[in-house]
Amino acid sequence: MKMKKIIAAALAMAMALSLVACGNGNKDNGSQSKAPSSGSQGQNQGGDQSNPPSSSGASGITLWTYPIGDWKDENAVKALTDAFTAETGISVKVEYLDYTAGDDRVNTAITAEGTPDLIMEGPERLVANWGANGHMVDLKDMFDDTDLAEINAVNEGIMKACTYSNGAIYEYPLVMTAHCMAINKNAFEEAGALQYVDLENHTWTTENFIKAVEALYSKYNATVGAVFCAGQGGDQGTRALVNNLYGGTFTNAEHTQYLWNDPNNIKALEQLKSMKGIAFDPSLDGGKEITAFYQGILKMAFCWNIAQQLDPNSAKTGAEKTISGEDIVFMSFPSETGESQLCGGIWGFGIFDNGDQARIDASKQFIKFMCDSAHTVDAVKTANYFAVRTTAEGTDLSNIWADNPIMAEYTKLMPYLGDYYQVTTGWAAARTEWWNMLQEVGTGSDVATVLAAHEAAANAAAAG
Amino acid sequence: MINESGRKKAYKVFSVIVLVILAFLFLFPLYWIVTGAFKPSLDIYNPKPVWWPTEWVMNNFDDLFSKRTAPLWELAVPFGRWISPNQEDIFFSTGPTVPAAFRWLVNTVFMSVMAMILTCITAAMAGYALAKKRFRGRAIVFSLIVCAMALPKQVVLIPLIKEVAVLRMWDNIWAVILPTVGWPFGVFLMKQFSEGIPGEILEAARVDGSSEFGTFATIVVPMVKPGIGALAIFTFINSWNDYFMQLVMLPSGNNNTISLGIATLQNDTTVNMGLLMAGAALAAIPIIIVFLIFQKYFTQGITMGAVKG
Amino acid sequence: MSRALQWREDLAGYLFMLPSLIFFVGFVIIPMFICIFTSLTATNMHDAAMFGQFIGLENFIKLFQDKVFQKGLLNTFIIVIVSVPTVCAFSLWVGSAIYKLNNVALSAFRCIFYLPVVTGSVAVTVVWRWMYDNYTGILNTALKGVGLIEQNINWLGDPKTALGCIIVILFTTSVGQPIVLYVSALGNVDTTLIEAAEVDGATDMQVFWKVKWPQMMPTTLYILVITTINSFQCFALIQLLTQGGPSHATDTVMYYIYYTAFKLTEQAGHFGYANAMGVVLAIFIGIMSAIQFRLAKEK
Repeated sequence: MKMKKIIAAALAMAMALSLVACGNGNKDNGSQSKAPSSGSQGQNQGGDQSNPPSSSGASGITLWTYPIGDWKDENAVKALTDAFTAETGISVKVEYLDYTAGDDRVNTAITAEGTPDLIMEGPERLVANWGANGHMVDLKDMFDDTDLAEINAVNEGIMKACTYSNGAIYEYPLVMTAHCMAINKNAFEEAGALQYVDLENHTWTTENFIKAVEALYSKYNATVGAVFCAGQGGDQGTRALVNNLYGGTFTNAEHTQYLWNDPNNIKALEQLKSMKGIAFDPSLDGGKEITAFYQGILKMAFCWNIAQQLDPNSAKTGAEKTISGEDIVFMSFPSETGESQLCGGIWGFGIFDNGDQARIDASKQFIKFMCDSAHTVDAVKTANYFAVRTTAEGTDLSNIWADNPIMAEYTKLMPYLGDYYQVTTGWAAARTEWWNMLQEVGTGSDVATVLAAHEAAANAAAAG
Repeated sequence: MINESGRKKAYKVFSVIVLVILAFLFLFPLYWIVTGAFKPSLDIYNPKPVWWPTEWVMNNFDDLFSKRTAPLWELAVPFGRWISPNQEDIFFSTGPTVPAAFRWLVNTVFMSVMAMILTCITAAMAGYALAKKRFRGRAIVFSLIVCAMALPKQVVLIPLIKEVAVLRMWDNIWAVILPTVGWPFGVFLMKQFSEGIPGEILEAARVDGSSEFGTFATIVVPMVKPGIGALAIFTFINSWNDYFMQLVMLPSGNNNTISLGIATLQNDTTVNMGLLMAGAALAAIPIIIVFLIFQKYFTQGITMGAVKG
Repeated sequence: MSRALQWREDLAGYLFMLPSLIFFVGFVIIPMFICIFTSLTATNMHDAAMFGQFIGLENFIKLFQDKVFQKGLLNTFIIVIVSVPTVCAFSLWVGSAIYKLNNVALSAFRCIFYLPVVTGSVAVTVVWRWMYDNYTGILNTALKGVGLIEQNINWLGDPKTALGCIIVILFTTSVGQPIVLYVSALGNVDTTLIEAAEVDGATDMQVFWKVKWPQMMPTTLYILVITTINSFQCFALIQLLTQGGPSHATDTVMYYIYYTAFKLTEQAGHFGYANAMGVVLAIFIGIMSAIQFRLAKEK
């Protein structure tokens, strides 16, 4: 009897709920609830009609963003999108992706023909993958000579990275950084290894790196640094480490071919393999390596950048400190001369071609608002990285971090920014081959053989 | 004889000890999640395990609740995507804005309950028909069901997404519910249960002038109730835990389920363990409470005696 | 049976089947047909077209030369072969050890073993990841404390241990329901038969295998089926813990299909190829289910 009642109650509840959560599509349904009052927007409802009433034909667009600085934080992003909505009357619906399943979700969206209007990530995805496969809108018409001059003044490589081999520009860059590594200063001090690092310039040589790891290992008798290779997360760190150690290459200068089967890389991998303090760890990826470093377990992290320096492990327990309050110093990767080539990170927006010109135009308005207007300062600061241009419509961007000593200090690394090779064809396959190669080196396979095999596989992908 | 009973006793003591140890191992994950949710980050990131929070704090939950927000519910016009100009949902009621985690719970409960109810109804009817109705084509249908019963959904992953997109259901909770209902294991189970119904009773009902559906509702359903119970639990738990379908079908934050929500927290560039524990606790506690309340129904009355091979 | 009667039986049968068939045909059979058809084509994510160029059996030929696929097939097989019997045996043992305990202890144990099932695999992975951790994990700490190992074992990072680790988690999240079922089955065994056997001087073991076990056969079969289904559901564990690594040690066919379809790799979006894997897996599972069912029928 009781069972019956419960079932009846459950049924009734289910019926009452039966329309709940019927989803809200991946497209925003206008702006009834969220847009603040703004003169022009009331008439924009249902704006797919043939005669767009005002400046824009679309009333709402969607943005999917990866966790780039505080662009993963709803409150911070909402402040930016609200400002955009107030100015244009276009509402923005934001979805937050993560790095493990984010790519899969975009790919499922492509399959289901439900891609968002805008996506925020780096050229290795936007240009080399989705752009190359014809899913993105060419943004060339958004750049005039002033824009290009402003961007090239910061670094000539940025526009190159955002441009596909057919000349189309699939990404409008917003911010950039140099990826580096970090050391636990207290641990180095205890082990007497501080003598091997140049704390002033944040550089060190390969020889000193080896000595430092030895000193640390004899002090702690445990792994002090991990060549992480569980997946693609943070893999630029392991590439930069291996390439810089003895000056190896990753691709050729034209970005047409992978060249990691280089004696210098073999030497570097064999060196790393032989070091007792360094472990090849296929259970870690970049994020988990950072956590272990933050916990004080590892004494150095190969996956690091300014965002981590400002907020280690995103744990909000204080800049430049591990959990137990030890000092973190960011470092350039060790190289024979001490002058290394750092991997860059570029992030910006791309537009998926959903075939609706009104929405594309609205998305371009959004990009212009975030990347090249008086609001760019806020957009850049939210991302916690450096601006890719000197000025945005007259606003000077070169000094926006002047009040932040950590950011100011970090600019010392920016001259070491190396080639942005992540746009080489077959990139997605190549990086997969890379961490699989590391896994195999870690389990004891012959370095030269493994390196050659995986490079060949990567080049096969590059060839088509 | 004494020897024998002594051995028995020793075995009993031994097995209880082993059981207690195992019980601790099984309890441990839950214990760790719940205490972890209240630990300060110093405890969570301490390289040495901290068994009991040095201090009970709420900031992991504060983090979890402040991270994302969503309306508690959104009621959409059925088939709204077919009538609206932009293929968008048309909402006639939107709930108050709450931390997204609560919306995820609402979504998950809705999804699991709907999948459970629909599966039980359709499977009970179909199982009865397969067991007791000698209709033509029965053998073919049944063989298909047996072959498809254990099929993982990954097999038809891509066609399913395409199909759901064509039906304009992608990114909608029904895209997870309906394929779950389609999975034929329930039909198979209910057929096995319905085999046990004596034909004479059905015959008698027919002679008494009971309609086909009347017979089903008044005679068959009460007799296969244990089977429906087993199926209900199986379906509920399975769809609650079916991370895969949720992952491929529900990209928007507002449509996420709690499993998906925690997985997303877990996959951030760097893992905030405290937040993760809080999320995991929030996901686990409601269903455990439901389980404890309905324990009797979960664990009793599901006698498989009626299952015939 | 007369014609009219057969007609009536057909109608009733189909009407009762209809609601279920709509879903079954719509979400299993039709996708399965599309799957089979696309497996013969070069369908690709990046073309919006539903079907790509027809290429015959090329995908299947490539598939059987694909080392990763073979590894995945093997791993899938290992997971099923290992986890199904262990889950059944373990839950039978637990069931028979607890069913005679007093009511409080019985429900306590039943509850505890059921907990990981209701906690859900995604929440449980959070803890397991930490337990297996190479540097701070409790497993290494405990084993080192007892003196069983000297060096930390990288549980999820070592190809030799990773699959075992996944199976263990799968195991803890699968035994709950079988235990509950066995407890109630043991409680329902005909006591007069047991008494009769005991009077005849049968030992406990004999009573168990000769009297109780045959009566529990239907329960066992049901458990076999649901455990098999559960074993194929290990996707979440793999996606969240190892992503198929290290060196494909935890790749299953299910995961590899997803990987080929949607992971951002150069192979991504090779739908024809992914569907070919689906077809092979479906044949594999279909045969297995048919055998299982045949065996069940003979019993």
